[in-house]
Amino acid sequence: MDHENDYVIEMLHITKEFPGIKANDDITLQLRRGEIHALLGENGAGKSTLMSVLFGLYQPEKGEIRKDGKPVKINNPNDATALHIGMVHQHFKLIEVFTVLDNIILGAEDTKLGFVQRKEARKKAEALSKRYGLAVDLDAKVEDITVGMQQRVEILKMLYRDNEVLIFDEPTAVLTPQEITELMQIMKGLAKEGKSILFISHKLNEIMEVSDRVSVLRKGRYIGTVNTGETTTVELSRMMVGHDVQLVVDKSPAQPKETVLKVTDLHVASRLYKHDAVKGVSFEVRKGEIVCIAGIDGNGQTELVFGISGLEKCTGGKIEINGVDITHAPIRKRSEAGISHIPEDRHKHGLVLDYTLEQNMVLQSFEEPRFQHLGFIRFGAVRKYAERLIEEYDVRSGQGPITVTRSMSGGNQQKAIVAREIDRDLPLMLAVQPTRGLDVGAIENIHKQIVAQRDAGKAVLLVSLELDEVMNLSDRILVMYEGEIVGELDPKKTTVEELGLYMAGAKRQQPKKEALA
Amino acid sequence: MKKESFLDKAGTRSVLASLVAILIGMLAGSVVILIVGLTNPSLGISGAWEGIRLVVGGLFATGRDTVGNLSFGFNPASFGNMLFRAVPLIMTGLSVALGNKAGLFNIGAPGQYLAGTAASLFVALSVPTSAVPAWLVWIMALLTGMMAGALWGSIPGMLKAYLNINEVLACIMTNWIAANAVTWIFDSSSLKNVLEGTKSGYIYKTSTVINDVIVDGVRTVAGTNIPEGAQVLSTRGGVATAKLGLDSLFTGSQVNAGILVAIVIAVVIYILLSKTTLGYQLKACGANRYAARYAGIRDKRNIVLTMALAGALSAAGGALYYLSGNTEFFWNTYQSLPAEGFNGIPVALLAINNPVGVIFSATFMSMLQICGQKLTELTAYNEYITNVIIAVIVYLSAFMLVIKTWIGKLRKGKAVEK
Amino acid sequence: MPFLIRQTLIYAVPLMVVALAGVYAERSGIINLALEGIMIFGAFMGVLFVRTVQEWGWFQAAYDAKNYLTLQGFCALAMLFAAMMGAVFSLLLAFAAINLKADQTIGGTALNLLAPAVVLFFIRILANQNTLNMYKDDAASWFMLKKSMFGYGRKEEMNFLGSTFVDKVYVATYICILVFIVMSIILYKTRFGMRLRSCGENPQASASLGINVIGMRYAGTVLSGALAGMGGFVYVLTTANCSANGDVAGFGFLALAVMIFGNWKPGNICGAAMLFGLFKCIAASYSTLDINGDGVYLLKNLNINTNIYRMMPYVITLVVLAFTSKSSRAPKAEGIPYDPGKR
Repeated sequence: MDHENDYVIEMLHITKEFPGIKANDDITLQLRRGEIHALLGENGAGKSTLMSVLFGLYQPEKGEIRKDGKPVKINNPNDATALHIGMVHQHFKLIEVFTVLDNIILGAEDTKLGFVQRKEARKKAEALSKRYGLAVDLDAKVEDITVGMQQRVEILKMLYRDNEVLIFDEPTAVLTPQEITELMQIMKGLAKEGKSILFISHKLNEIMEVSDRVSVLRKGRYIGTVNTGETTTVELSRMMVGHDVQLVVDKSPAQPKETVLKVTDLHVASRLYKHDAVKGVSFEVRKGEIVCIAGIDGNGQTELVFGISGLEKCTGGKIEINGVDITHAPIRKRSEAGISHIPEDRHKHGLVLDYTLEQNMVLQSFEEPRFQHLGFIRFGAVRKYAERLIEEYDVRSGQGPITVTRSMSGGNQQKAIVAREIDRDLPLMLAVQPTRGLDVGAIENIHKQIVAQRDAGKAVLLVSLELDEVMNLSDRILVMYEGEIVGELDPKKTTVEELGLYMAGAKRQQPKKEALA
Repeated sequence: MKKESFLDKAGTRSVLASLVAILIGMLAGSVVILIVGLTNPSLGISGAWEGIRLVVGGLFATGRDTVGNLSFGFNPASFGNMLFRAVPLIMTGLSVALGNKAGLFNIGAPGQYLAGTAASLFVALSVPTSAVPAWLVWIMALLTGMMAGALWGSIPGMLKAYLNINEVLACIMTNWIAANAVTWIFDSSSLKNVLEGTKSGYIYKTSTVINDVIVDGVRTVAGTNIPEGAQVLSTRGGVATAKLGLDSLFTGSQVNAGILVAIVIAVVIYILLSKTTLGYQLKACGANRYAARYAGIRDKRNIVLTMALAGALSAAGGALYYLSGNTEFFWNTYQSLPAEGFNGIPVALLAINNPVGVIFSATFMSMLQICGQKLTELTAYNEYITNVIIAVIVYLSAFMLVIKTWIGKLRKGKAVEK
Repeated sequence: MPFLIRQTLIYAVPLMVVALAGVYAERSGIINLALEGIMIFGAFMGVLFVRTVQEWGWFQAAYDAKNYLTLQGFCALAMLFAAMMGAVFSLLLAFAAINLKADQTIGGTALNLLAPAVVLFFIRILANQNTLNMYKDDAASWFMLKKSMFGYGRKEEMNFLGSTFVDKVYVATYICILVFIVMSIILYKTRFGMRLRSCGENPQASASLGINVIGMRYAGTVLSGALAGMGGFVYVLTTANCSANGDVAGFGFLALAVMIFGNWKPGNICGAAMLFGLFKCIAASYSTLDINGDGVYLLKNLNINTNIYRMMPYVITLVVLAFTSKSSRAPKAEGIPYDPGKR
């Protein structure tokens, strides 16, 4: 058989529609046996939908799937498993309260009289873990192990089912650079053992490093497939976004003035109250600068912001805004002291989704005299205000101010929040992952707004997981690792690689406390 | 912007969904009646038909004519009683609706209702009307009742806000605690009805005039007929809601001004929820507690406040019902909880938590009760069938959203056909 | 002392079983607030079953022949019937919660309203009063084990174990304990149990592994209904004068509290149920409670109002919840309708 045409999986002319959107439009993808095939595309390009089709979670309207050259019908994950197709989902599909072993065998349990045979399962799992170098603790509960180990559990789940086609859906998003390197090694090892791998990502460097071929999707359409060895990141990025991306944000050098936010030795408890998530963090943010907190997800950034904004209690330390101590002030008081806040989770914190756009626009300010009189809402004033913000910040919605925000697109929801927070015109802005899940246009728009705020003399504290955003937008970078600030970097003088080392905890500067003393 | 037709409006669809729920509920009740009738030879199909007619139109039943057939017509007593009984339902319905708006399922209405009843009865029967005018006692009793209810409602509220205990469970427990506490209080009180010694387990009506007297050196109580030579220490009771001529409009019924008070309160709650910053906060907490907290709204305080307000509303229901002066309170409550409290749930659900809608849904529920009563009076069936209908309606309310979508689809399907 | 243990057991066992019913539903992802209603329904159906069988005369014949085994067999059959009816009734909740993605709290409340309404409607038609007895005067007490059945005379006393665990005890109680143990093992040791639990934690993960989430949730709810129905019947058999009256006095909700207190784990639930059983027992019979057997009715002599004792179980529930709610860990996906399209 001609090796070049030995396809293990072929997805031919797949079309999948959701109400109002064509998520996949005539997409063809062919996976060779033993290769690592990258699937590249922006958020919303249709990568996950295509993989869900392959995994039997969605049924396509049109198109055909072939396994080893024969047409197959995949109606549910069981069918996929029977065809030895396995998937590591972007959000791990693990049962947190189960042990690692139970998670590996769940759905593929060997039983006698209905009783699960854990002994045999353990032997098999141990053998697999040894063979592929996937170190896990079989008796630990999933909620207690690291994200990296959770991912190894997901890979073991696939191997336990003797899968030969392995789908990795954005597997590196939650990993440290070192864990990513490790994963790359594991993937190469799997391919060498004859497994075929589909690797979904929008990170060009990783794709260049690990894959044999790359297929690119854009806005639900198939753009093309290239051999990794014969292409460049620039070409791939052009295929991905359709035009040359301007990766650099236009901005003049910062001119920092007086200190606005001063955080001293701050401690914040984690959600589970077992330990502090923020351990003695100190820093300052001054007027006219953008300070960025960088780090891998889950290293205390969320809790740090919660501590400053008042959503979580501080267990120690001091927070000052323009010299006023707000360490233990209620949220409303902090807001009045001068904090605006673009929250990390716009659905959980940023908006009351069942409220209309105009109601959401006055979420913090409804008690100001301009919007109420003797406890009665001035509806006319609220309407006018909302209309002005919609106009100024180009928030698009079906019915204007009376649109229920749940029905709006993610980008416009975020624009509404940004509009509201900027218009409050307060000295400090907390912006947490302000561009998460948005398209390029919306990202550009929000970046411009943030820089404009800085130039207007506001202090901006940005939290971001996207390295591009960190490098391009910030004037100073503070790297957080396991609840501490391990380094302060100048984006103009540092590299992504160096930043990565700090983020992974492999490198750290002297603690600031000693520097001050 | 395209103008929506009347039938496409969300509000219209909600009302339609409620009507569908009522229809299916009535249908289910009729089916049960039919099945019982067909399997029971003494009832038969004609008996079942009578039952069904009474379930639907019991409000207009006037008894049986000389031949034994059911007769229908305007029945002022039934109408008046419907309005009278709607009062506690409006109040508990408002209580549950307010909770729902703020994201709290207030199943504690029965306990709050009892707390309000007990406190208001205590005031109404203890404050001497010889010293304080009866109308003032009435107001004092209502307000005390509402305060007691607010206090009782705030207990699960605080447990929810500060200890994150499921409010449903906390409410159920406080219900039973209230039921036992009320029995205990009246058991050891001097308010048990000894003047009309026919029934045991009841306390005085608030309209009863009680004279504390000393006869032959012994302290005792007397009614309006004071024994000769007795020394009157003070007079209690004689408190009742004003009728405002409603009783002559609906002769033979118990209706009084309580219904007007209830309607005014419903309108006040409507304004509170839709026009004020307090309502804005409460609803924000209900729709998204996290976003409310993010915005600096004090969510915990609002939870307690909501439950206290809800408690006061339920309590006012109990107070208005018993301060009417013509209803007796059975104080041995520890075995079962007052149905008026639980019926607040269907009332609120049917009204889609709209305070003005509550007036109508409560009146409908009260009409069902009249139908049930007529059913018991005139046939071999009993009033529990109305509870079956109510339960079916609550069941349907649980997936009101699905029903609404169905109606929406039905409309869309028609639009395409055009 | 034997009396106290025996009575505690009698209250604790139905509580335990109904709490386990809650566990089965919630671990599959469905909040079963309808336990109270299902108990009421199951109790009514069980009582109706016994009544009907008695009318056929088989019952009397077995009693006359002193064929106690057959009598106990009837009792077990009645339990089975109550369980089946409880399961059928709980289908209403399952359908609303799973297929129609209804609000589970309201759905459960509807069942709690529906059960007493239906039950009372039929009781009134059947018995022309508000309670339905198991027919003959003391026929229901035939289900109770008595020392006379083991050849002990009226004056003779059984030894400590005998008078605690045999005399005046119901076989039904032991059947319940057995069912509790078996169902607990199924939940933890079998494939079915493991899959069921996964659906209450992360149904999307379960679905991705080919587990039928909808089927599992149906199974959880229906088994929950069966356990609650059986528990309801045993409750009226052993503590409520063997009659159905459309009420179990908040027992189903107490079971929910026991479930939360027991952290959704059978072992802890067993302990929690014993604690609550003890308080229920004290509330019901404090005036005749002779704890150490010296003829002194300590609790009665304390002269505390009956209503306080009656209130105790509910007050204690609240206090216990207040102390344990911070550390309790409910199944993560309970109450959230499963939507296969959502990932």
